[in-house]
Amino acid sequence: MPDAAAWLERIRALTLPHPVRVLNVCGGHERTIGMAGLRGVLPDNVVLIPGPGCPVCICPEEDILSAIQLALVPGVIFVAFGDMLRVPANVAKSEIRSLVEARAQGADVRPIASPADAVAIARANPNRQVAFFVAGFETTAAPVAAMLHEGLPDNLSLLLSARRTWPAVALLLNSEAAGFEGLIAPGHVATIMGPEEWRFVVDRHGIPTAIAGFTAGSILAALYSVLRQIAEKRPFLDNCYSAFVRPAGNRRAQDCLADQFDDIDAAWRGIGTIPASGFALKPHWAGHDARLLFPNHLEGVRRRVGDMPPGCDCARVVMGRISPVECRLYGKACTPRTPVGPCMVSDEGACRIWWANGQRPDTADAARQ
Amino acid sequence: MCLAVPMRIVSITGHLASCEAKGVHRDVSLTLLADQAVVVGDHILVHVGYAIQTISAADACSTWDLFDEISLALDQAGA
Repeated sequence: MPDAAAWLERIRALTLPHPVRVLNVCGGHERTIGMAGLRGVLPDNVVLIPGPGCPVCICPEEDILSAIQLALVPGVIFVAFGDMLRVPANVAKSEIRSLVEARAQGADVRPIASPADAVAIARANPNRQVAFFVAGFETTAAPVAAMLHEGLPDNLSLLLSARRTWPAVALLLNSEAAGFEGLIAPGHVATIMGPEEWRFVVDRHGIPTAIAGFTAGSILAALYSVLRQIAEKRPFLDNCYSAFVRPAGNRRAQDCLADQFDDIDAAWRGIGTIPASGFALKPHWAGHDARLLFPNHLEGVRRRVGDMPPGCDCARVVMGRISPVECRLYGKACTPRTPVGPCMVSDEGACRIWWANGQRPDTADAARQ
Repeated sequence: MCLAVPMRIVSITGHLASCEAKGVHRDVSLTLLADQAVVVGDHILVHVGYAIQTISAADACSTWDLFDEISLALDQAGA
């Protein structure tokens, strides 16, 4: 397997018919791209665009507000992956805007690293209700389905806000201007769901696609594949992470998802409803559905579509329409210390990743190269 | 949230495997690998406490190298 430098040489040797924009849809990919400084070493006519790869960033505000309300229910222990705790909702400063603020007001909010932690906390506190806020893509939804398969304590309920990745890419491709000519598909989503989920990008839209792993070499291998497909006008679905992504993915995990969840149309923050992009608990789990268990506490939660804070361009960043440094708030009102939008909160968020790699507003021109 | 970590299985009890990676020990659920023959010594890809695929020892090692780079970079960024 050639190393990153060798892939880069191959990329530079290609003759492209036109400038090319390649979308990635995984925060892990974006982190490697930023860390390795790949944008700075690619030919000028190749632009890498971070796309909808951050589940925290697209978690709808309605669900963040529901989470805050549930956390404030007396006696409830509220558990969530750590990234979710600081995501701000767009409410008045006098109101509680995040789970961290809820905790400061006395709510029992605990960060967890695994669904198994939620089960352990519920077992250790049999006289209290434990609510688990599940945001994530297929990589997280499958372990949660496994947790359900293994069996839940009676006092553990779920606020489910998990999403599928490919429907967001389908939404982009079905819009008037997709904004990209090649796709690097997410390696660990494909490890579970299999590569075929991405075939529609090639077959229906003629867009070259390659599944990548998480080293700089693997991402450059996938990029080379995509660019070569463009140069040769021969789009196909390439798997550049075949050591992990088997032809059918992980069928057991897919079965687990199908056994525990129904597909539903679901809201993406700032973007709107995307068909068949969400998971809902199967009806036999109704007794563990936090939305059904605590209806009175969720009555007041607002349902809105355009729910990013004023001036925040996270929705356009998530969909790859602009780069983080093109947001008016980036690095000014919005920094990791005082995040305005979710893309600056999450480790998977493009804004947070660009900031961590030293991109500042005054270096915006350099960043676009 | 979608980054997964390779670990080596040290022991298996029911659907739970005791796993190790670079001196870190974790209990990992094998529920999502229930249709694969997984044994002690195998390497698995672990995400949020659940094994999502079996992998070779060589691929586990190359992925560990990546995580060393990421943690080094995060340290340098003060994150």
